[in-house]
Amino acid sequence: MIAAKRRAILHWAAVTTFVGPFLLMLLMFQYVPVVRMVWDSLWDFALLNPDKRTFVGLGNYLDAFDDPDRRQAFAVTFGFAFGVVCLVIPISFFIAIYLNGRLPARAVVRTVVFLPVVTSSVVIATMWVFLLDPTNGLINGAIAMMGFKKLAFLTSKAQALPSIIGMMVWQQTGFATVLFLSGLQGIPRDLEDAARVDGCGWWQRLRHVVMPLLGRTTVFVVVIMTVFSLQAFAPALIMTGGGPEGTTDFIAFDIYQLAFALQQPGLASAISTLFMLVVMGVSLLQMRLMRSEWSY
Amino acid sequence: MLRLSTALLAATLFAAPAFAGERSAPTADCPQGVLTLSVLKPQNNPPTPVMISAWETANKCMKIELNEVPFGQLADKINVLAASGNPPDVVMYDGPNTQTYAAAGVLLPLDKYFPAGLKADMVQATLDEHTYEGKIYSPGTQQASLALFYNADMLAPLGITPPRELAKAWTWAEALDAMKKCQKGEGDNVTVWGLAPSRFGNATPGFVYRDLLFLRTFGDPKAAPDSSAYKTYWALSRDAKTAQGWINSPEAVEGAKFYSDLFNVHKVTPKAGIPNAFQDKKACFTIDVSYFVAGLANNDPGFKWGVTPLPYAKAPIVHTGSITLGVMAKGKNPDEAAKFVLDMSTGKIAEDYNRAARALPVMKSIAAKMTELQSYPLNIFLEEVQQWGHPRPPSPHFAQYDKIVTDALRDIAYGADPKTRLDSAARSLQPILAR
Repeated sequence: MIAAKRRAILHWAAVTTFVGPFLLMLLMFQYVPVVRMVWDSLWDFALLNPDKRTFVGLGNYLDAFDDPDRRQAFAVTFGFAFGVVCLVIPISFFIAIYLNGRLPARAVVRTVVFLPVVTSSVVIATMWVFLLDPTNGLINGAIAMMGFKKLAFLTSKAQALPSIIGMMVWQQTGFATVLFLSGLQGIPRDLEDAARVDGCGWWQRLRHVVMPLLGRTTVFVVVIMTVFSLQAFAPALIMTGGGPEGTTDFIAFDIYQLAFALQQPGLASAISTLFMLVVMGVSLLQMRLMRSEWSY
Repeated sequence: MLRLSTALLAATLFAAPAFAGERSAPTADCPQGVLTLSVLKPQNNPPTPVMISAWETANKCMKIELNEVPFGQLADKINVLAASGNPPDVVMYDGPNTQTYAAAGVLLPLDKYFPAGLKADMVQATLDEHTYEGKIYSPGTQQASLALFYNADMLAPLGITPPRELAKAWTWAEALDAMKKCQKGEGDNVTVWGLAPSRFGNATPGFVYRDLLFLRTFGDPKAAPDSSAYKTYWALSRDAKTAQGWINSPEAVEGAKFYSDLFNVHKVTPKAGIPNAFQDKKACFTIDVSYFVAGLANNDPGFKWGVTPLPYAKAPIVHTGSITLGVMAKGKNPDEAAKFVLDMSTGKIAEDYNRAARALPVMKSIAAKMTELQSYPLNIFLEEVQQWGHPRPPSPHFAQYDKIVTDALRDIAYGADPKTRLDSAARSLQPILAR
């Protein structure tokens, strides 16, 4: 009895020692700021003088809904996420299929595809500013060489968001590919062999065996890519400043601008709270809609 | 709780050193110990090591501890440190933010430290900019104004000789004509632009210091105070509470249209930045400040260059203002900090700095001693400050005004409809100004 009690005490002492510091840090740097953010969202104040504050209740939330700029920021961010997810998923899926086979230059392609993932977002954004330069950019150089008119890219209302989606797809495809590749390598070989014996061709095996069995991986990739895209900040800060005309004003950048440049941290906190709830809702919805019917 | 989170934010975001001024143990020379004053300033800006060394030599019992940040991070850093319990004693900040910091209680009013006659010695534009509700917050070390630099080697074959006197300054129509004639190539194949892109801010179009002038010059300060021409010239109501009708008046829209046409119709200037476009002979003209004279004189670009007064449309105007020193209200050594600020901004230290940097002094008495300011090309900048100079619209919400108007002007340069975009900016500004 006493020995069991001592074991339990030792067990909890070990648990506390190993997990405690991390739980404490999680609490301090994750959950306390979230509670603080929700509290701040009920007040009107400036960062320069935070002691001078007025309680506005849900006023900041109403302002967020009323302001066309905030609504545009939500629309831009979700449009951006939709574009990235719609492009990254099929591209990375087929690259993963390619890398999973016994094809030439597989290792080189794997390295090339994964390289942007390990590069800093700031470096990538800065590099793409040069690539997309309307006058001297490499991409416009190639376009001009082919005899076409140069494009404005980041200074055009119509082209700025697609340009950043293109950059994000280039950056994130490697990560999604690795996830798909790990999913593909987990599919039992027997199932594909059985389908082959039953006379299924490449496309039929892919459509009726591989895709259903990759359901869980696909859900994971979709959720991860959505969350990554919704967090986009560096492209707006470095490449466009949120313009032209707010067409690349992502929520994370908008929140930063509201809090620091426009001195409205209460409103920024309200939008952060709303955004957190919306992202949680979208992730739950995606997981529910794309729930896998197959397991192995 | 709030102080704790602010302090945590300050520590984690900026990893700032301890800022409080500290006093060492007493010594024979300094019975009260040596006091260390902490100074926050942007990199590559005054106070320079020479200025600090001169001050420390004259004040044996005081030392300066500098904390430098990139200019782009300065405002954010001040925002965070202002709310912390351990701010620096002195801060070098951007002059147009004086009223913002004064209204928030960040800066200490310096009236009681100002010697008699000092206010009268200051350039009027600086005095206006550094005053809030009748109190003065900074004397100001230097002034700046914009002028049009040109590549004389490119203009000479075209028979173009820009004027050197303010009285004969070009209108924007004349300047545009010269830019069009000088530009080489068109469409996708421009090799030399008429006007270099802006290098201010983040090197995109729209920076208020430079580009709001395109709107304000379409106004008229002599018109009736309730006229749209008068409102256009000031770009914000004189009580700083109304933007509607001031930033988006018909004349302001006309100016914005002219500004937009430079990029989208006449195409004499590019929308994207080109580093060192003027120095690299990729542009005939550039709009820049007086410090640019020193830059070109010290690093010969390999061609003859000149300076002409900034062109105007209806009323000439240049923005004044520069970075300046202030005392933090929550600093622990206000008396010593105020002495440091005044010593850096007046007298021999300021005179030596202005002379070395070829900067325009705020103090008229120093300007009178600098003979180089009376001759070409620096005389153009000095005369502009004295005759055409006005601060960017003074307001306790200037930082917000600056951000919203800069974004609007950038969008207009990229092709947005001037009226729609200025209306939108006025709508965004109004609730902020009313707070």
